[in-house]
Amino acid sequence: MGFGDLKSAAGLRVLNDFLADRSYIEGYVPSQADIAVFEAISAPPPADLFHALRWYNHIKSYEKQKASLPGVKKALGKYGPADVEDTTGAATDSKDDDDIDLFGSDDEEESEEAKKLREERLAQYESKKSKKPAVVAKSSILLDVKPWDDETDMAKLEECVRSIQADGLVWGSSKLVPVGYGIKKLQIQCVVEDDKVGTDMLEERITAFEDYVQSMDVAAFNKI
Amino acid sequence: MAAAARPGPGVEELVLLEKLLGLPKGSKYGVQGERKVPVLQTNNGPGLTGIMTIAGYLVKQAKKEQLLGSTAEEKAIVQQWLEYRVTQVDGSSSKEDTRIILKDLNIHLEDKVYLAGNIFTLADILMYYGLHHVMVDLTVQEKEKYLNVSRWFNHIQHYPGVRQHLSNVVFIKNRLYTNAH
Repeated sequence: MGFGDLKSAAGLRVLNDFLADRSYIEGYVPSQADIAVFEAISAPPPADLFHALRWYNHIKSYEKQKASLPGVKKALGKYGPADVEDTTGAATDSKDDDDIDLFGSDDEEESEEAKKLREERLAQYESKKSKKPAVVAKSSILLDVKPWDDETDMAKLEECVRSIQADGLVWGSSKLVPVGYGIKKLQIQCVVEDDKVGTDMLEERITAFEDYVQSMDVAAFNKI
Repeated sequence: MAAAARPGPGVEELVLLEKLLGLPKGSKYGVQGERKVPVLQTNNGPGLTGIMTIAGYLVKQAKKEQLLGSTAEEKAIVQQWLEYRVTQVDGSSSKEDTRIILKDLNIHLEDKVYLAGNIFTLADILMYYGLHHVMVDLTVQEKEKYLNVSRWFNHIQHYPGVRQHLSNVVFIKNRLYTNAH
């Protein structure tokens, strides 16, 4: 959370992007959140950051009534986009971490500490949440590929299956499992990235080798 | 076509406006002529015709003159956008017309929070009602393209009392098309 250093051009740019689709820092009415950020900016943003400038001028129009605007002012770092690291209070925050008394012996500070802790956890959770989509979801799939009869060349079949290449698809170990009457099926492991490769696509591609493959099943499907 | 297809375009939003202003229900509305211009029957006189006239009258009835703008400039801007609403938005019939309107507004709203600058006015209310059916149909990409309009629209629809029964138009929080802007 936070806009970084609002006195710097980079900080203002973050603010500008943040305000592109928002009228206010929080919600749909001017609040203490706007005042807090407004006061952190020393001068009107430059004209090319028109979203920030629009907001600045708008909040300026509330200057006379700023005390009566709703909401409670929070630390500057609690506002803004979730994916930007809070640099405004980092030093003091880490110090507070060490000071937390788990047994709450000093009562008068307890509620404030608890609040701070909750806010920190929230911020942590939010930053975690925002990072989450970056993690690629993968699955491990075990496929059963069945040949037509006992005369099907299993080595060739395996070669065909392994020849299928796609972005996000990695073939793993394989083995031949006897089914009966001398027929063996090919059990092959593969790891796929969920977004890029689906079982439908695998099935389509494998069954395309119709000279060798009679049918294909997904024997096991595990999220990694 | 688009304007005519909606049932009594003006009357419905005047009823919404009435409710928003906190006026008692029960005004009698009619429509007049081929373009279905709304008419308000008042107790004294021959009745008021046209959406701008009636809306202005309702605002004064509700004693909320600040909605018409406080300074001379604001009053003029409110009038200008009301006129734009009636002549351009209601008169639009094709996708191309709509595109031009959205483009106009997008430019205008770039450095403004409300149509008249920093205060919420009748122009915002009526433009919101007038554009609602347009915004509902926009694609995510179009909503991003007209980012300033989207921001303004989202703001107005969250303004207390404005949206009422109209559907909430969803604007996604994260921008998808980064180079559109």
